Formats: sequence, C-alpha cells, structure tokens
Amino acid sequence: MGPQHPSTHGVLRLMVKLDGETVTACDPDVGYLHRCFEKLAEGKTYPQVIPFTDRTDYIGPMLNELCFVEATEKLFGEAITVPERAQYIRVLVSEINRIGSHLLALGSMAMDIGAVTPFLYCWRDKEKIYSLLERVTGTRMLYNYLRVGGVRNDLPEGIIGDPSDGEDKADKTFWGFINYFESYVYPQWVALVTDNRIFQWRTQGVGCLSSADAIAYGASGPVLRGSGVKWDLRKNLPNSIYDRFEFDIPVGKENGDCFDRWLVRQEEMMQSARIVKQALKWLAENPGEIQGKVPRILKPPKGEVYHRIEGARGEIACYVVSDGSPNPYKVKWRSPCFTNLQLMPKLCPGHKIADVVAILGSIDIVLGEVDR
Amino acid sequence: MDFLQEKFPDAQVATQVNGDTEVLVTKDQYLNAVKACYDAGYTFCSVVSAIDWKDRITVVASLARINPAEVNARTIHVKADLPRTGGRIPSIVALYPGANFHERETYDMYGVRFEGHPNHRRILLPDNWQGGHPLLKDFVDKRPKRPRLVRYRYAE
Repeated sequence: MGPQHPSTHGVLRLMVKLDGETVTACDPDVGYLHRCFEKLAEGKTYPQVIPFTDRTDYIGPMLNELCFVEATEKLFGEAITVPERAQYIRVLVSEINRIGSHLLALGSMAMDIGAVTPFLYCWRDKEKIYSLLERVTGTRMLYNYLRVGGVRNDLPEGIIGDPSDGEDKADKTFWGFINYFESYVYPQWVALVTDNRIFQWRTQGVGCLSSADAIAYGASGPVLRGSGVKWDLRKNLPNSIYDRFEFDIPVGKENGDCFDRWLVRQEEMMQSARIVKQALKWLAENPGEIQGKVPRILKPPKGEVYHRIEGARGEIACYVVSDGSPNPYKVKWRSPCFTNLQLMPKLCPGHKIADVVAILGSIDIVLGEVDR
Repeated sequence: MDFLQEKFPDAQVATQVNGDTEVLVTKDQYLNAVKACYDAGYTFCSVVSAIDWKDRITVVASLARINPAEVNARTIHVKADLPRTGGRIPSIVALYPGANFHERETYDMYGVRFEGHPNHRRILLPDNWQGGHPLLKDFVDKRPKRPRLVRYRYAE
C-alpha cells in the first residue's frame, strides 16, 4: 500500500503481506518526506529553529514550538523568566491547536473507513480555528508565534470575547468558538459518528493493544491512554503552567481497540475546551507583559536538556545540546508519530486489509512529523 | 540515581538542568545499565539517539517510568562513548521493542551499529544510500548540485 494511497495521510508506504484478504505481516516504509530538520537546525540560531519545528507536525504546530522554546528556556536555567500572561497565552493557543488536531484526526479516520461527510464537518470547524489563530498570529497554519521568553504579540483586542458569545461569533472570538464547540460540534460528532452502528462495527475489536504492550512499544498520547494507561504528561510531568488547570484524563479500557482511541480523542477535545475556558477567564482579567527579558543574542550556557511535553499525538520531546554558541550543537526530535508507527507490525496481522486503514487512522500519524 | 551508583561505581552520574539524570558508562556496561533501569521500573523507552562530539560519539538511551500515580518522574539518560567510526553497541530492542525505529534512525544518521537488532537497515534514507551518515559533523553532501530554477522573463 502506498506511497500514494489516499488513506495514508501523506506519503507512507506500508509493505503488507497478504493471505487472501488477511494481513500476515506489515512493515512501514518511511522517509519520503525526510528533510533532516535536525541537521538544518545545527546551522541556525535558536530563534531561527522555531519555524522549522512548525513544519514537523503541521497539524498541531504550537505544541512543537512550545517544546523547543521551553527546552531552550530550560538551558538558560534561572536567567529567563516567562511572564505569567505569556504562559497563559501559550496554554490557550496550544489547547486550541489540540482541539483542531484531534478534529482532523477524527475526521480523517472516519473518512478512511468510508464516512466522507464527517471529514467535511471537521474542516468546517477547523476553518474557524484557523481564522481565530490567524487573528492572533497572522498566519493560518505555520505560526512561528512563540518566542524564547514569551510570545511574539499580545492577543488582539476583542478576540477573547464574552462568555455569552454564541455560534454567530464562532470564528471571531475564543468564547464564541468554545461555546459553539461544546453546544453544537461535540454533540454532532457523537450523534453522527460515535453512535453510528456501522462505525462501531468497523472499529470495535480491531487493532487491540494491551497496556503492557503499549508501554513496551513506546506508544504515547491517545494511543497509550486508549489502552487504559492513565498517563498524561500535562498531569504527570507538568510543563508550562498546566498544573494550575483542572481537567481529567480520559482513558480507554485495558486491551483498547480503535474505538477506544477514538473515544479518548473525542473526550480529550472537551477537556481541552475546559482548559481553554479557564485560561480565557484569567486572560480577560489580567493584562500584563508578554515577553520576559532575554539577551539580544541567545547563547545558552553549555549543557544538555531533554524536554518532554504532551503533544496532540503523544509525547513530543527534544534533546538539545548547547556548546555555548548561538547555534544549537545538536537537536534531536522525538516525534510521537514515528514511535507510534512501530505499532503497525504489531497490530495489523490477523486483520483484513480494510482494517489496516482503520488502525492507521486510529494511530493518527502526520507524515511531516514521522519523517521530519 | 542510587541504584545505578551502587551497581556501577565507576559510572559518571550527572544531573541535567531540568533534573534528569545522566549516567555515562562504558560500552560493555551499557546493556547492563539499561537492564538495571528496566528492573527499577523504567520500562518506557522515550528515545535512543546519539551525539557527535567530533572525537567520539555518545549513544544516549532515554528511559522513563510510566506510573500514573507519580508526578514529576524524571528521565534517566544512559550514555556510552563509542569511537567515531565503526562503533558497535548492543541493541536494547529485546527489552524495549519501542527502541526499534530509534536505533535504526541512529544507525542511519550516525553510523552506529546495534548488535542484535532484528531489522538493522536504514530507515529514513533509502536502503541504497551511499552518501554517508548525515548527522555526523563532518558530513559532506556529495550529491551533484541541482540546477537552480530561473524564472523566465520576457525581454523588455
């Protein structure tokens, strides 16, 4: 299958060994989009690397930026403090991004197994997220918004909105979007796809992964939680100011299947909406600085740092080595999709060829991130 | 980490700025150190990578603990120094199946061989790639230069 099969979300080739319709072995062949981002980063200064991180996982770029920016701040130790307002803005845009990313994950998985309509609904709502973030950052997709020590610019006037904003302001204010999402989008997804009997037949009992295997295979994010492991780095290793927010971690059952991973993503969107609401309440009341004091040329002291955060697809981490010069000596990007893709040879054998597509959709890969 | 200090008294233990532990062991102790971490509950392999220091290559295995009740559990980085060319180190895939792709990528990018790896091939670059290992500091791109595309302009 591949590299141009429409269900592979990009250019991934799956070498599948078949016995009739049944898969006996599956081996992913990656690297078609390889740009060696890590080599490019060695020749750039720290702020110049931030736009490259956008281009790894281009569905949830804010989380990638957050990972790299925070790793750089960690290298400086106590020298850089991020103002509180900037931290709240970071959490706000990250969680909005996570909602958008999960929407696309759900939409494309539904499309892969034959339901085309939800994909169009997903873009209807993702378009609103793009419009909102365009007003904040100036770009629709690859934001380059976070800075070492803060964020590039404050939120524009009126974008927070009022808690009473409804659907008519969904693409103009954050409150409008969140209210629209909670009252309309989420129930629609549940009614349209999750409660759909055909969808459940296609996903339940397909691609079962036990929690012990999930940990052994390095799975993270919704794939790990879909197998019943209550592990979320936002709670278990809080970066930024995630420890100030109230939210739950949705988990699937032990030996979770594609349907459990679907449910985890769907519930996680609601939890992200909860975080966004708390951040909005704080941001509306507390104006202030958005950029801490940083040196003109960023030269972190010699050292190494490994920073892990919870991305939309799992654990994003980067290993940054500094030699005291303005360029990072080494950047290693731990991308969740690359690691989760190792599950394909484990999950696929024994299923029909049409289920491979459902499993791939439930792992939710972005090839830009797999190949970097 | 105390359990590593006890078992490997001559290992160099350091702490990263964010609190992670770094343990530098010799090449022969590497597998035992990883096993000791595994037995201590570090059953999640976050990443395997390498650093090219120009005179040596350091292989880093970053191991973490997944315990839902635990907050702020830090990572352990088990490191081993290798010679710059022809470095060989035991593979940890038998313990952590999730290290499979990461070890292949490390071989692909740095040329470090992992002994006992079940599928020791390049992963991101093509199998028949002859150009070397790109993340080495002295890597030279030997591919022929591509002609630059010039936009055709009408004569004025």
